[in-house]
Amino acid sequence: MPLSYSQTCVLLATSLAMAFAGEVHAANVRVEPAQVAFRDAFARRQLLVNADGHDATRQARYISRKPEVASVDAGGYIIPRANGTTDVEITLNGQVTVVPVSVTGFESIRSVDFVTEVEPLLSRFGCNSGGCHGKASGQNGFKLSLFGFDTDFDYHTLVSEGRGRRVMVSAPEKSLLLLKGSGAVPHGGGRRLDPNSEPYRLILSWIQSGAPTSAANVPQVVKLKMIPSERVMTTNEQQQLAVLAEYSDGSHRDVTREAQYSTNLDVIAVVSDDGLITANEPTGEAAIMTRYMGQVAVCRVLRPQGSALASLNDFAPRNFIDQLAADKWKKLGLKPSTACDDPTFLRRVTLDLCGRLPTVDESRAFLADMGSDKRDRAIEQLLASPDYPAYFALKWGSILRNSSLAGADRAAYAFHNWLKDMVARNRPYDEFVRGIVAASGEWPDAPAINWFWQSRDDQLHQVTADTAQVFLGLRLQCAKCHHHPYERFTQDDYYGLAGFYTRLGRKSFGEPPPYYTSPNVTLSERHPITGKQIEPKYLDGGLAKLSAEEDPRHALVDWMAKPENPFFSKALVNRLWGHFYGRGLVHQVDDLRETNPPSNPELLDALAKEFRDHKFDMKHMIRLMVQSQTYQLSSEPTDDNRSDVQNFARFYGRRLPAEVAHDAVEQATGFKTNFGNMSANSRAIDLPHERFGSYFLDTFDRPKRVSGCECERSTSATLSQVLLLSNSDEVEQKLQNGNARIAKMFEAKRSTPQMIEELYLAAFSRYPTPAEIFNSANYIGVDTEPRKAVEDLLWSLLNSREFLFTH
Amino acid sequence: MFDILGSTNRSCDGVSRRNFLRVGGLAVGGLTLPNLLRSEAVAKEAGTSAKRKAVILVWQAGGPSHLDMYDLKPTAPAEYRGEFKPIPTNVSGIEISEHLPLQAAMFDKFSVVRSAFHTNAGHGMGAQWMLTGYQPTIEVNDNIYPSCGSIVAALRGPNEPGMPAYCNVPNRLDLGKAAYLGASYNPFSPDSDPNSQGFQVRNMKLPGNLTLNRLERRQQLLGQVDTIRRDIDTKGDIAGLDKFYHDAFEMVTNEKALRAFDIHKEDPKLREKYGRNDLGQSCLLARRLVESGVTYITVQAGGGWDTHANNFAEQKNRLLPQFDRAVAALVDDLFVRGLQEEVLVMAMGEFGRTPRINPQAGRDHWPGAMSVLFAGGGLKMGQAIGTTDSKAEYPTSKPYTPGCVLSTMYHTLGIDHQHVFYDNGRRPMPVLSEGQPITELVG
Repeated sequence: MPLSYSQTCVLLATSLAMAFAGEVHAANVRVEPAQVAFRDAFARRQLLVNADGHDATRQARYISRKPEVASVDAGGYIIPRANGTTDVEITLNGQVTVVPVSVTGFESIRSVDFVTEVEPLLSRFGCNSGGCHGKASGQNGFKLSLFGFDTDFDYHTLVSEGRGRRVMVSAPEKSLLLLKGSGAVPHGGGRRLDPNSEPYRLILSWIQSGAPTSAANVPQVVKLKMIPSERVMTTNEQQQLAVLAEYSDGSHRDVTREAQYSTNLDVIAVVSDDGLITANEPTGEAAIMTRYMGQVAVCRVLRPQGSALASLNDFAPRNFIDQLAADKWKKLGLKPSTACDDPTFLRRVTLDLCGRLPTVDESRAFLADMGSDKRDRAIEQLLASPDYPAYFALKWGSILRNSSLAGADRAAYAFHNWLKDMVARNRPYDEFVRGIVAASGEWPDAPAINWFWQSRDDQLHQVTADTAQVFLGLRLQCAKCHHHPYERFTQDDYYGLAGFYTRLGRKSFGEPPPYYTSPNVTLSERHPITGKQIEPKYLDGGLAKLSAEEDPRHALVDWMAKPENPFFSKALVNRLWGHFYGRGLVHQVDDLRETNPPSNPELLDALAKEFRDHKFDMKHMIRLMVQSQTYQLSSEPTDDNRSDVQNFARFYGRRLPAEVAHDAVEQATGFKTNFGNMSANSRAIDLPHERFGSYFLDTFDRPKRVSGCECERSTSATLSQVLLLSNSDEVEQKLQNGNARIAKMFEAKRSTPQMIEELYLAAFSRYPTPAEIFNSANYIGVDTEPRKAVEDLLWSLLNSREFLFTH
Repeated sequence: MFDILGSTNRSCDGVSRRNFLRVGGLAVGGLTLPNLLRSEAVAKEAGTSAKRKAVILVWQAGGPSHLDMYDLKPTAPAEYRGEFKPIPTNVSGIEISEHLPLQAAMFDKFSVVRSAFHTNAGHGMGAQWMLTGYQPTIEVNDNIYPSCGSIVAALRGPNEPGMPAYCNVPNRLDLGKAAYLGASYNPFSPDSDPNSQGFQVRNMKLPGNLTLNRLERRQQLLGQVDTIRRDIDTKGDIAGLDKFYHDAFEMVTNEKALRAFDIHKEDPKLREKYGRNDLGQSCLLARRLVESGVTYITVQAGGGWDTHANNFAEQKNRLLPQFDRAVAALVDDLFVRGLQEEVLVMAMGEFGRTPRINPQAGRDHWPGAMSVLFAGGGLKMGQAIGTTDSKAEYPTSKPYTPGCVLSTMYHTLGIDHQHVFYDNGRRPMPVLSEGQPITELVG
């Protein structure tokens, strides 16, 4: 049994206290753990040495007094060699710390276990990666399961196939696994395995003992622990990691050298194959991930802008969002930008809540208002206006694939109106989700069935993947075919979620046809590994035992809405955060996973709790966000936050979305386009689906609604967009049209300064500065064609970044 | 702009993401991210000159009939072989259709691969496979994977600044888009027929009653008005827009860019030679564009290749004469201008057509065998590569996949087809998942 290492865990728990006992030579050096007890020949231990609060594992020198009992390498990694006891001496700056090491059970007969010891090595050396033997077609006739998700398959492939040459029990060293892996015979993947290395010896030992299969009850890794789990680091500072695996029988084992490591942002910090982090110069945060036997753990590395701050004098928190954001800034030495001014606030909040610019009159009234609560009042007015549900129906309709394809023209209008109505009445979010996930009946009564209908070609899998991504913030698609490479989710988890849709039925008439829940399974697809019927199973939970009368889709929503559900609330508040702050606390907004941690976990947790405590009230959450001082910061960076791209110490500017940009141009020019089959008042944000032809909207990349991912909406810049705004008949007509804003201003015989003021208010939602009035008046004054000169001014405003961006 | 790189994962090509980000930060100063990617990806393709190269793909949407064009089977039973007869070309031993006489007369300047194939007979899926190298799992009429033109745009950029890197003429191709590479690599298209009297590129010509003088005044005014700070976003979109404004202004005012799109400047005799139809004039426009610095152009070879009925009448009366004339004129023109080493011309569709003729005298979808035409690009010409069986149903030698076809094209551009991008799910996606350059062509 390889897992007889439980004592180390106990030692670890007390190691901090124990370490002080070892500080006889110097008060500033700490070694973790304070002592080591090996219970078999396969146990290992990574020492961590800390001096003055900084990692010194690689600077210390290590000597084992009895290397024949246990040896230690330059990285502080101890390996048992024989039964007995020894001391490992750690020398740092002339100071010596001693860690006693005992070895027992060294000679006890046990064989290396395939599942828990050999399989991880196949992952570690990349044998089963997607580019090599893990790909669907294998490589040169040798195929392994991707990332080792199917250990039975891999055992069979290695031991029984390949004419018995891959693993040769009669002549272990002649096994192709070792010969190819070590490059002793030509191997397309090169030399992966050093014959003098521990992993090589481990595999050899397994083959020597007869290459046994794993016992049925072999303990599984249930959890990984990374030490440390969070670290504030300076440029070029290093930190050695130790990784402990916890097994299903409660035992622990050091797997520092067996685990795999990666960083999510190597601009901030990188990690070596044996778990040594090196911080880089740029500031921010990185997540260092370790992966071992389907489990993952993360160490967060903070690279602060400056030293931690005791207080932020100029920043007055409005609510808990501000408090938690400020806590993080203080930790990172970030100082927030100043509060944005009134015109910027009104423009920003009107764009974000209602998808339109403030009108000239709204801006004038707001800027003239002297009340100290005018920002809050503006928020309430906007939230109560019909533009708020209109804009959020557009947002939801895009990721809920609301399209008129496949005969769903009228259903798409109905679904759009349903979304708008749910938002307008501020129905609780769980009710909103239930109306979609559990939609049943004919489309006039249950228009949300269009969500199912638009996935009709791959009904089960598209709806399963969308459920995970849209409502749980999880990208589970990977797990359809293999263990999720960055998550703990397995194929079982994926098919467990799919199980809630296996009784989904649809009639054979109508477009979309009526959908219903059948008492029987309607989909013939089987679980790809077990070959059995797909059963509903809660993510992170057990099988759902449902009677024929119970609707699995309702059961799924019941589970989502439980207070203890770890995904549902977080996914929604993170999506809203991303909408208002330009980037999710978890980025991307629908990719919540352990290995992609939030930039501010305390804030995400607090928002999720607030959302649950307020009965899934979306408007309440939105109000909290836009009322916060954090939302109302200026977008202009300062020297104290310039490097910040994930902690919201300033507002992050972004390009207007396609529909909003379209409407903003029309609002500023005062020229309205009509869309076919829509009322004359309908704007681009009011369109129920994507199939209204518009060169403008296509050029600015409105989503095609073929994905549940927010990422389908691109706001990146293109040459065609610039040509359209700066050099098109379309925009020129809007400037020149006899019924548009400029023509009306001339009809009303406005003075030049009045016209300049109105255009600035219409396009930039602010009054021009005296210098801007002077410059513009100058430009218009010298022109022989003043009307054209005024058009030039509005053209310049429309083509400014100040216009095209929310800032 | 960093999202195309998937900046959160170490790249399998071993390139440190840190370098990308550091240099990406300099984009404002003029060194753009594509430039960096480009040099990095191009440098990896040892032995291929990274000098100015371009590709024109003539895309025969609908599926051209290999049996009636480049792979005739005169000895097959009547219900397979069809009406057309093979004729000799100027390369001894190679015969092609009697309805491609102009190409036959200069076949030393072409090579045809007769043994290309895949396994999907749907228009959308087959087209996506041929244009991206990836086999899609579901039928959608939009890119799941980036089109090869978008990949070229991302990795090589335009050959001359101020020109788009990737164009579709005359219209945007449904499956010609950038998918997870980001909209900046979507094609630029005139969206207008170059054969029409009033052909002009959308929004590149000054709008009616606006003078160049006024545009220049507007530019000056814009400089005064647009004073918002350039560091208020975090993704470099503002810097990107500044660059596009610079490019757009140059395109509108720069004579060279305007001239490139002004097909009316061509000698009427040459325009006749290409054929006065949308295909002929699109090929001519494509030649003008590569000369001016566009790197990758997809020409839509008209419609109608999907000949489920009246295959032979359609082929001989309209499709083949127009195609023969346009492609022959294009390749001849490139040789006359000495561009045969720099510019690769390819012609293909999403699949071949069923060898067995249906009751409507049509041929249906057939991915089991198809012909792909190559010319120029520094490849070995004058060859017929690979063979199919007696009924042209499947390859009998040198079966080549869509990945092989595209990797040959990437090879001519000096693009490493193993360069890794990241999709929206942070999954590493190499330029191609399979396929090596066709040895008979690259030598």
